[in-house]
Amino acid sequence: MISRWFLPLFLALQMPVAEPEWKIAEPDFEWAFPRDHWAHSGYRTEWWYFTGHLTSTEAPRRRFGYQFTLFRIGLHPQPSRLDSKWAAHSLIMGHAAITDLSGRRHVFSEVFYREVAMLGGFGIPDDPLIAWSLPPAGGADRWELLWNGEGFDFKMSDPVRGMAFSLSTTPAKPLVFQGPNGYSRKGKRPGAASQYYSFTRLRTRGTLSLEGDRWQVEGQSWMDKEFGSNQLAETQVGWDWFSLQLDEGQEIMLYHLRDPSGASDFARGTQVSSTGEVRYLETEEWSVQVTGNWTSPVSGAVYPARWKVRLGDTQYEIIPLLAQQENRSRLIADLYYWEGAVSVVNSEGEQIGQGYVELTGYGTNNRPPV
Amino acid sequence: MIRYCIQATGARFVKAPSLFLLTVFGVALGVASVLAIQIINRNAIGAFSAGIRAISGEADLSVLGQTTTFDETLYPQVLGVKGVAAAWPLYQVDAAVEGQDLLFLKIYGVDLFSPVRPPWGSPSEDLSQAVSEPGWLAVTPVLAREMGWSPGDSISVTSGTRQVNLLIGALVDFQKMNPLASRKLAVMDIAQAQALLGVSGRIHQIDVQMQEGSDRDELRVRLQERLGPSVQVVTPEQRESQAADLMGAFRLNLTALSFISLFVGLFLVYTSTQASLLRRRTEFGLLRSLGATSEQVLGLILAEVVFLGVLGVLLGLPLGYWVAQQNVEMVSSTLTNLYLLEEIESLGLPVSLYILACCVGVGGALAGAILPALDMSRRDSKALLSVVTLREKVRSVSGPLFVAGWFQLVLTGLWFWFFGQNWKPAGFVLAGSVLLSLPLLTPFLIQKACARITVRGFNLAYALKTLSTQLQNTSFASASLAIAVSMLVGITLMVGSFRETVRLWVQTTIQADVYITTPSWRAGSEATMDEELVAQIVSHPGVESSEELRRIFVSTGEKRISLVGVEMKLAEADQSRFTLLAGDRLKVHQQLKEQGEVLIAEPLAYKSGLEVGDRITLYGSQGVREFPIAGIYYDYSSEVGSAAMDLATMNRHFGPSPINSLSLYLEPDREPDQVIDELKARFPEIPLRMRSNQHLRREIFEIFDQTFAVVRILQIMSLLIAVCGIVLTLLVLARERVSELALYRALGASRFQIFRIFVGKGLGMGLIGLTLGTIGGIALAAILIYLVNRAYFGWTIQAYWPGGPLVRQYVTILAASLLASLYPAFRASKAPATELSRDDF
Repeated sequence: MISRWFLPLFLALQMPVAEPEWKIAEPDFEWAFPRDHWAHSGYRTEWWYFTGHLTSTEAPRRRFGYQFTLFRIGLHPQPSRLDSKWAAHSLIMGHAAITDLSGRRHVFSEVFYREVAMLGGFGIPDDPLIAWSLPPAGGADRWELLWNGEGFDFKMSDPVRGMAFSLSTTPAKPLVFQGPNGYSRKGKRPGAASQYYSFTRLRTRGTLSLEGDRWQVEGQSWMDKEFGSNQLAETQVGWDWFSLQLDEGQEIMLYHLRDPSGASDFARGTQVSSTGEVRYLETEEWSVQVTGNWTSPVSGAVYPARWKVRLGDTQYEIIPLLAQQENRSRLIADLYYWEGAVSVVNSEGEQIGQGYVELTGYGTNNRPPV
Repeated sequence: MIRYCIQATGARFVKAPSLFLLTVFGVALGVASVLAIQIINRNAIGAFSAGIRAISGEADLSVLGQTTTFDETLYPQVLGVKGVAAAWPLYQVDAAVEGQDLLFLKIYGVDLFSPVRPPWGSPSEDLSQAVSEPGWLAVTPVLAREMGWSPGDSISVTSGTRQVNLLIGALVDFQKMNPLASRKLAVMDIAQAQALLGVSGRIHQIDVQMQEGSDRDELRVRLQERLGPSVQVVTPEQRESQAADLMGAFRLNLTALSFISLFVGLFLVYTSTQASLLRRRTEFGLLRSLGATSEQVLGLILAEVVFLGVLGVLLGLPLGYWVAQQNVEMVSSTLTNLYLLEEIESLGLPVSLYILACCVGVGGALAGAILPALDMSRRDSKALLSVVTLREKVRSVSGPLFVAGWFQLVLTGLWFWFFGQNWKPAGFVLAGSVLLSLPLLTPFLIQKACARITVRGFNLAYALKTLSTQLQNTSFASASLAIAVSMLVGITLMVGSFRETVRLWVQTTIQADVYITTPSWRAGSEATMDEELVAQIVSHPGVESSEELRRIFVSTGEKRISLVGVEMKLAEADQSRFTLLAGDRLKVHQQLKEQGEVLIAEPLAYKSGLEVGDRITLYGSQGVREFPIAGIYYDYSSEVGSAAMDLATMNRHFGPSPINSLSLYLEPDREPDQVIDELKARFPEIPLRMRSNQHLRREIFEIFDQTFAVVRILQIMSLLIAVCGIVLTLLVLARERVSELALYRALGASRFQIFRIFVGKGLGMGLIGLTLGTIGGIALAAILIYLVNRAYFGWTIQAYWPGGPLVRQYVTILAASLLASLYPAFRASKAPATELSRDDF
C-alpha cells in the first residue's frame, strides 16, 4: 500500500541517495509471522499504519474516524558505535488523528524523537512491545504499539490537543500481502518497491477521549505494515490512496502516484473478496475520476474531495465524511497531507461501505526538511 | 542673537584657537573615557546575552545543573511536565583547535532531530551526515573564512587529553540573529559531542519552550518540583541578570574610574570658560548696555558652551570607541578568567551610548561652565565695563573654601563611621569626598605656600610667588592635576599592593615544579585528563610526588562557585597550596581528609558571611549537601568565590570523574624544563600543556597585569586631561597677562626671563598638583584597598609602597608639566612691550 510510505519517503529524500548497505525490497522475501510484525532495522523506512471507523457503544451513538501511525526512519544501516545514549539508529515518528464525525471536527497529534532508550524505540520479537515513544511535550502517557497474539493493541494521548485513544484489534480476516509475496512495486523502474502486507479488516474495541469526553468505542480498522529503502522517483510528486471496506465483506485498496502535471504515473490495486481471495489489480483494470475539490483554509492546498471509481463494470462514488481532515505537522515544517474517513456509495446513491483516503503532494513546499 | 552667537563662537576660535581646541579636547577625553568603559561594559553583557540567544533562541526557560552538568535522564521528565511545548538538550564542550594558539571552539552538542526549529535555522546540508559522519561540525561562516576552512575540510581539536579530527560539515550563521554572538560557536550532534569530546550520560542544559497561554512562573515552579534540587530552572532574564551581577563589581569600579576622568575634564571646561568670559567682559558689558538682558547673555554663553560640548562629543565618540577597541581583548580575558563569562569578540555601539556620550559631553561642559556663566550674566553693564578686575575672587574665598573642604571631609567621615560602614558603595562616597576636597583645599594651600616665598628678583621664586596672585587660574589647574594625580597614585598604590599580595600568595600557592593540564582546559571548561596517562606521568622517572586536581562548578543556592578537589596529603600539609587566614594547617588538613570538611576562599567567606565552624550548603548532582567549614584560605584567582575539599570527598559527593590538572614535585636534582621535555617526547601525540613553576608564575602575573591594563588607560587619560589643564592655564595666563608681560618687557625683562617665569609657573603648578595629589592618592588607595575592594571583591590586600613606579610617575608628571608650559612660555615670551594698555596703569 503506497500511502503508508509517503512520510518516511519524504524524510528519506533528505538523506543521501540509497547506500548499498541498506537492504532493498525483494520479490522472494522470506516472511515469518509474527516476527515480521516487529521492526526491520536494515531497511531505511518502515511503518505501522492503522485507520478505522469507530462508534461509541452507549447511546447516543457517536461516530469517529481515527488514524494511528508509527514510522521508523533509519539513520544508519548499522547501529551507531558512539558512546552516547543519544546515539540513534533510527528516528521514530508518530501521527494520530481523530475525526469526530458527529461533532464535525478533526484533531491531529504527532511525536518525533530519536530512537534512544529515554525517548522512544522499537521492540524485539517475543516481547509484545513493537514500538513506543514519549508522548508530545507536556504529556505523560507514552504512545505504544503491541502485538497481542492475534492482532495489535495501541494507544496514544495528547493532553494539549485534548485527545487520546487506547484500542485493541483482532483480525476479522487473515493477513493479506499487497503485491505477490508482499512485494509491492512503486514505479516502473526496477527495484522501486517495498515489502508490504495488510490486515484489511480488524475488529476494534477500546476507549477514545476528545476534549474531556470519553467513550467506549468499537468498530473496524485497516492495518498496513510496510518497509523498504527505495526512493520516490523524481517524476512523482505525490499520490492518492484508497482503502475501502465494503459492507458485503469485500475490501479494495487502490493507489496511483502522480507526476507534476497531476497525471497518474504508476497505479496498482488489490481486491480482497469476502472469503479472503486476493486479486492484484493492474493499472488498466481500474480508474478514478475526481468530481469535487476542497481548499484547505490553512495550508491553501487544493485537494480532490469526491471521486468516481470504476472497477471492472462496477462504479463507486467516494465521499469524504468531513471536508477538513487535513493533518498539518507542527514539528516538521511544511509537512501536511489529507487523511480522512470516507463513505462508499453505489450508483444508486446507497452507502455500501466505508474507508480511508490519503492525499499527498498537494499544495506547495510540502516536502519536509528534517 | 543666534547669529551673534555663531559669530561670537567663530571669533572665539579665531582669536584663541589653541585655547578653544584644548577645551574641546578636554571634553572629548572625558567623553571618551566614560564612553570607552560603557562600551566595554555593555558589550560584555551583550556578548553573554547574545550567546544565550544564539543557542537558546526564544526559549522561555532553561534548566541548568547545580554543578556544571546533570543527568540527561531528566530530559524526558522535562518533556512530561504540563505546560511544556518543546524542550531540547544541550551539551557544551570547549575544544582547542590544534595549531592555533588560544583558539577555542565553543561546541554545542544539540539534538539535531529535536522537533524544534533552532534560532540559527537548520543547515541546508544533509542532516543524516551530521549523525553518520564522525566528527561532523557546523561552524560560523566568519570563522571558516578567517581560518580558511570549507565544508569537507578536516580539523584537529583537543578536549582534555583527547585529540579528535572533526569534519567541517556545514556553515551556519549563528551571528545572523545575534551579531554579538561569538564567531567561535559551533554545533554538532549531541551524540557525537558526548562521545568524541565529552562524557556520556550528562548534559549541560535543557531549553524549554512553554505552551501558549501557560504561565511561565508556574511552569518554572512545576519544573523545579519535578526535577528536584540537582538542577535550577531559570528564565533567560535571570541568566542575564546573574551574569550582570557577576561582573557588577568589575563594571562599577571601571565606571567609577571613568567618571573621575570626566570630573577632571570638567575642571578644564571651567577654567577655559572662566578665562574666555573674563576676556570678553567688555563685550558682555556692551551687550548689556545695548539692551541685552542677563538671561540673553546667559543664553549666549551657554549656547557657546553647548557647541563646545557637541564638538567634544563628536571627537570623544570615535576616540572612546577606539580606546574600547584597544582594550576589549584585555577586558575580555579578565571576564573569562575571573568571571567565567563569554569573550567579547565584537563591539556594538547602541543608540543609548550615543545618547550617553551627548549627555556626558554637553552636560559636562554645561556643568563646568554654569558657575562662571551665571556669575558673568548677573553683573550689570557698569561692573562689566569697569576697569577694576574682580577676577581674583578666589583669593578672598580661599579661606572659606578651605574650611568647606575640611567640613565636607569630616562630615563624610562621620557619616561613614555612623551609617556607611554596612553600605556597599560607601567607599565610593568617601573617594568622591576626597576628590572633591582637593579643589576646595587647593587655593588656600597655594596661597599659604606661596606667601612664604621671598622674592629677590625676577626669577623662579617670583614665578612661584605669582601663582598665588593668579589664584583663580592656577588653583583650578593645580586642583585638576591633583585629582588626576590622586587617581594615578591611588590606583598605583592599590595595584602595587595587590600585585605584591598576589606575589606572596603565589609563592605559597605555586610550589610544585611542573604543572600539567590540557590545552582545552580553561576557566569554566571541563577538559579532563585520561586516568591511565596520569598514572604514567606520575610514575615518570624524576617525579617524587604529585598532586591531582579536579575542578567543578557547584551552586551554593545563591551563586555558582568553583569547587576544587585536591588530594590532601597530611604529610605535606606544611607545603599545602592553601594559605589559611588562620588555624593550624595540619589540623585543618585532617578535618578535610578524615571528616570530609571543606575550605572556603576568603571572598566567599566575606561575601556570604561564613566563618570557620559554619556549614556551607552545596547543591550537587546528587542533591543538597552540607559541609562543615574547616578553614578559610586566601584566594585571588576568582572574585566569584571558591571552595576546596579532599578529592575523595568530592568524588563521593559529586560523582567520580577524571582530574583536570596535575602538579609534579620533582626529585631535587631534576630540572623542571628537562622533565617537561622528556614528557613531551614520551607523549608526543597527547595534547598536554606543561609549565614549569616559573612559567606559571609568569603567566599569573601576565593575567594580573592584563586585568589592570584598562585601569591604566583611564589613568593615562586623566593625566592627559590634567596636562591639558596646565597648558590651558598657562595659555590663559599668557593671554590674560599680556599687558603685564608687556610691562615686564618695558621694564627690561628679557624674553628668556619671561620664558623662564612661565616654565617656573608650570613646574610650580605641577609640584603643587603632585603634592596634593599624593596626599589624595594615599587616601584614595586606602579607601580602595580597605573599603571598596573588601566590599566588592572580598580580598585581603596588604598595603605596599611601590616606590619604583611612583617615582617614575612623579618624574613623568613633572616632565609633562614642564612640557606643557613650554608652548605657553614661548607665547608669553613673545609678548611685545607695545601691548601695554591704558587699563593697566
